[in-house]
Amino acid sequence: MNLQAVNANISRVPFFRFLKFEIREIGELQAEAEMTFDQRHIGNPVMEYYHGGIIASFMEAVSAIAVRPDFADTPAKPINLTVDYLRPGVKGPLHARATITRKGKRMASVSVITWQTARDKPIAEGLYHFLLV
Amino acid sequence: MTRIPQQKMDQIAQLWNARGEGLITHMALDIQKVSTEGVLVRMPFNSDFCVDSDQTLLHGGILTALLDSVFGLANFIAIEGVSTMATLDLRVDYLRPAHSRADIFVRAHCYRQTRHIAFNSGSIWFDGHEDEEIARGAATFALTRGETSLYEAMLEGKGLK
Repeated sequence: MNLQAVNANISRVPFFRFLKFEIREIGELQAEAEMTFDQRHIGNPVMEYYHGGIIASFMEAVSAIAVRPDFADTPAKPINLTVDYLRPGVKGPLHARATITRKGKRMASVSVITWQTARDKPIAEGLYHFLLV
Repeated sequence: MTRIPQQKMDQIAQLWNARGEGLITHMALDIQKVSTEGVLVRMPFNSDFCVDSDQTLLHGGILTALLDSVFGLANFIAIEGVSTMATLDLRVDYLRPAHSRADIFVRAHCYRQTRHIAFNSGSIWFDGHEDEEIARGAATFALTRGETSLYEAMLEGKGLK
């Protein structure tokens, strides 16, 4: 699956356009993306921090793409998620890397990490489960 | 159930709606009921939050964002003297596909508060389908308490006091 095709599919999804992100790397078991800061992503207007729900949405989107990069007819259906918020997400780009921990016939588990300046200073970590049937 | 004075409720609604740019403003949330027992908020349908070209299926992420926002509001109302509040962790179960163009309702409450932590739970359904929840979530928030409460600071910032 080439990056251009994946990003063309992303541009057709209204909510993904709202999140404003692009896939930068895609492999068998991982996907990496960058999101552009937007006024509509703000949760704390005084400090201009990302809304926690936007960070969680971005992680969910990148996880689902890692599982189904071809945007197949049966999309990965999210079952549930757990997010750990570690640092505030400040105004600026946000990076995410989703790694598939396990992908079976019916289920997939994906672990995601987001960061801004350095990978070892994560903004949030997430664990997402998807139903594939 | 502790009643919230009408004046405080009006101020909270005004603060909530006067946040300017940001996700909460874009979601156009409307506070329906408020008490220390919990809050009920309505979000109108918005095609920006859909994943399909027919624009009838909401992305799960927006439900997560909605829960996070409304937990914050519930804490703001239930806890006296909070100066800052940050989501520590969040867990969401997607119970049904969010397939509708109906408005969404969210109910959230703070079921336990300590000096440093608030514990929340909440659920989401489409207007007219309260018995068919589409998502349920739980979160914990880290609180700091201080001389200036968030509520007082926001009132002053908005010239409401």
